Amino acid sequence: MKINEYIESGILEAYVLGAASETEISELLDLKARHPQIGDALYELETDLERIAQHMAITPPPEIWTRIEDNINELATRPHVGRLRIDTSPPKEGQRGKQKSSQFIEVESQSNHMRIHKVWRWVFAAVFILGKIFLGFAIYFYLANRQSEEKIIELKTELRQQKHP
Amino acid sequence: MLRTDKQLYIDNKPNQIRSLYEKYASMLLGYIIGVVKDQKIAEDYLVMIFAELSQQSDSQVWESTNNWCQLLRFAKDQLREIANTTAIKKSELSDLFIQNTQDKYLSDLNEEQKKVFTDTYYLGKSTNAISIELNKPEVSIRKTLKEAFAVIKKGCEN
Repeated sequence: MKINEYIESGILEAYVLGAASETEISELLDLKARHPQIGDALYELETDLERIAQHMAITPPPEIWTRIEDNINELATRPHVGRLRIDTSPPKEGQRGKQKSSQFIEVESQSNHMRIHKVWRWVFAAVFILGKIFLGFAIYFYLANRQSEEKIIELKTELRQQKHP
Repeated sequence: MLRTDKQLYIDNKPNQIRSLYEKYASMLLGYIIGVVKDQKIAEDYLVMIFAELSQQSDSQVWESTNNWCQLLRFAKDQLREIANTTAIKKSELSDLFIQNTQDKYLSDLNEEQKKVFTDTYYLGKSTNAISIELNKPEVSIRKTLKEAFAVIKKGCEN
């Protein structure tokens, strides 16, 4: 068998994309062990496939990892559980309550940290700024009140002096 | 407290899965969306695939030279199982692809190349199955697949 012809046949692409049969896979792995060109061509194809996937990548939302962790913890604590299934069809009425109680388990978090939505950043900033404004008003009115009290005392003293010269 | 090997394994496993997740989750989500055409369902499948991955032994996870290809094969197997057990069937997936002819990286392919590539990459069909479906020799299907791969690769490089 001519190795270049074999590489050019498209069998390597079929293998990398998971479209080769069991017989083709075993033949390819056997040839790969004997011919380094096949190993090199496969490595290049796998790298190309990774690059293609990078171009088609879509960043998952941040909460996905938390869901994965929850699932991993659930599977770790239930070693005899079967494969996790995702049913895309909605549950029938009456089964909803039963499913909920059997699908979820209570997990106590060991972490001392908590995650909150980013919108709270602006809420905290607004509370902080409002706090500063109220503090400014409080100081202003306190000083104004003290000043007016001092004036009243001064006026009372003046009045007393005018009555009893 | 003395920790068993199993407990140590359970404690360390999430870190390995986490590093795989950080490197490949976006690529895998892009691939799954390509299959199911629904971000919400794709996210559910992504969660399920990584959770299932945590149940595999290390030798099963790291046996390939290219981790992405290994992860992709694992994801394809999982999606195939889901397709067999849930409402999403392969025929429906095929229909979704027919609607999706404007896909950025597939637009440079001719109809046959597009069909062969999407059937193998997204639907996990064998070249033999496609050759029977299209009534063409398997050699010709493999050639078409090679051409399609080369065109997409070129598109990604530009």
